[in-house]
Amino acid sequence: MSDGRGPKPKNMFEIMTSECRFVHLRIKGGILNHMMKRFISCFSPCVLPALVSLLLSVSLQAQDIPTDPAVISAGEALFNGNCKTCHRVKTKLIGPALAGVETRVPSVKWVFDWVRNPAKVIASGDEYANKIYGEYNKSQMTAFSSYKDEQILSILAYVKAEAAKVEAAPVAAAGGAAGGGSAVPTAYLDTILVGMIIILVLLVIILALIVNALRRFLNQRDLSEEDREVVNSPITFASVSRSPGFIFLVIFIVGTITFKSVIDGLYSIGVQRNYQPKQPIAFSHKIHAGQYEIECKYCHTGAMKGKQANIPSPNMCMNCHSQIKEGTNTGAGEIAKIYAAVGFDPMTSTYTGVTKPIEWVRIHNLPDLAYFNHSQHVNVAGVVCQTCHGPIEEMDVVKQYSVLTMGWCIDCHRKTDVNTKGNAYYDKLVELHSTAGKKAMKVEDIGGLECAKCHY
Amino acid sequence: MTMTTMKNALLGFAAVSLLGCAGGDNPGREYAPNMYHSVAYEPLSQITDEMAGEWVNALDNGRGEYFNSNKYNEFRMNMRTPPANTVKRNKFGWLPYRSKNVPKDSVDIVIGALKSPLDSSAVYAVEGKALYEVYCKHCHGANGTGDGKVADKYAGVANLKGDSYLAMSEGHIFHVITYGAGLMGAHGSQVTPEERWKIARYVKTLQKQK
Repeated sequence: MSDGRGPKPKNMFEIMTSECRFVHLRIKGGILNHMMKRFISCFSPCVLPALVSLLLSVSLQAQDIPTDPAVISAGEALFNGNCKTCHRVKTKLIGPALAGVETRVPSVKWVFDWVRNPAKVIASGDEYANKIYGEYNKSQMTAFSSYKDEQILSILAYVKAEAAKVEAAPVAAAGGAAGGGSAVPTAYLDTILVGMIIILVLLVIILALIVNALRRFLNQRDLSEEDREVVNSPITFASVSRSPGFIFLVIFIVGTITFKSVIDGLYSIGVQRNYQPKQPIAFSHKIHAGQYEIECKYCHTGAMKGKQANIPSPNMCMNCHSQIKEGTNTGAGEIAKIYAAVGFDPMTSTYTGVTKPIEWVRIHNLPDLAYFNHSQHVNVAGVVCQTCHGPIEEMDVVKQYSVLTMGWCIDCHRKTDVNTKGNAYYDKLVELHSTAGKKAMKVEDIGGLECAKCHY
Repeated sequence: MTMTTMKNALLGFAAVSLLGCAGGDNPGREYAPNMYHSVAYEPLSQITDEMAGEWVNALDNGRGEYFNSNKYNEFRMNMRTPPANTVKRNKFGWLPYRSKNVPKDSVDIVIGALKSPLDSSAVYAVEGKALYEVYCKHCHGANGTGDGKVADKYAGVANLKGDSYLAMSEGHIFHVITYGAGLMGAHGSQVTPEERWKIARYVKTLQKQK
């Protein structure tokens, strides 16, 4: 409607001093009216059960909360479905921790009224309701008007049962995990290695024995003076290092290593693979993309839409980090850098308005002469990020995974089938291609190797 | 003779190693560095040192070839924020949804009047699903029951199949994605209006699934 369609109630756009933060506040007015109508229309057919439940609820005491396992499990389902968003049993969340609620509230009947229509209870001037309301920044609980007494009771039963549970000792799980299956192959390798060393040493000893035996044998023979000298000449470092065999060996080894390093070195020019610079904030993809399975494109929104995948602006960080103020790896230290950048005071959860950019270090840097577009690859071809960027979800510090050379691009364009499914753009091309042969249409078949595709 | 050969070989080896492969903070050597460093402003790069790369400058104007920073912008950034009081247009000609500062008692009227501009085609729910999986799944879970991986850490994620959410209109969902609600942050900057409507359509479809 704000897009220029439909009526435009002017007074609604008046600027308010404080933002409305909670959904249930927004629906409050509607719910009240709705409830009244519903109550009246419902009254006549429901008069008997309502009276019964009224009597029931007045007489209910905290002790009367059921302990039947079936009721508790029903309550668990309701709790997980509807309450868990704002309440936990033992910790304070948006709303209070519910453990011991049955002893805190004025009566169980009060809970019924409160759950069905908190606004009404507050408006009635109820002391406890207003105290809670004030304590939680005047954010009012969502009304669950359709809940029956038994349902609310079952939730209370679940809360009570859950609160009574003693923290299960996690010690049992911790043991036994040490020492894995990987120990066996390592031991194997070690044994083989030691065995080989023993065999080599034995070989050397045998050779030395043979040399000795030969020398003794030759000395017993009648040899000329010259031959005798040769036979008995001692093996010294100088004699070895001057022997042509040794010199050849050394030159060969050094030459090979040098040749290999020169070739490798030359090939590495212009290739920034494994470049892993230190970033101004120690952001871990392993935690965000790996552990919490946040989709890459949630932050790198540009990957679907344009040439650059984009470095997310810190307001996206704040979608979660306005609440999560302590990190897994580094505690509050690194997250505080986001706060400094966006100008956020974590103590009061307010924005100061003083901002400064975060100077991330660019890792993937194509030369200016090559054109690359993310959206063509991500959106049209459906290539997953990991194809080029590697297992990002396992990297604490991101490094360049692929070589990003022209050969690498070409190689993929030769191997990859064009993603033509559901894309009418390719219909004619596929038709044309199928007349030429039965092979799948690769990127190279539609000009994926043309120079001007990437260089212009 | 052997010694000098070995020395030369070692020197050559050392020289090549110094050329070095990239790794850690070292980006490695560049072939024709002035082709890596754009003359035009690069949106995601910033080199504020005016003398950086002077050694490859062929123009002899005493400036660095690598310098890439717009000194007239705030923080010398290459990217600019859109000018104040301008709006982004899209192919449908939609203007931005800006009912942010609506008085509390009028919000549901605004939301009630907000109707999806998308027709009833089933395509939108399918496209919405793909978008939901990118933008929503990690918190609200694949089934919308608020059991995404992030919900372990980020308390208070809504169960979209909870009783109080079932009655929400597509307009309400659109409003919440745009400006956030409760603990949920505003996603208007990440998700375009068209995408928001598609997600809203998918959430309504999702809520009907058991």
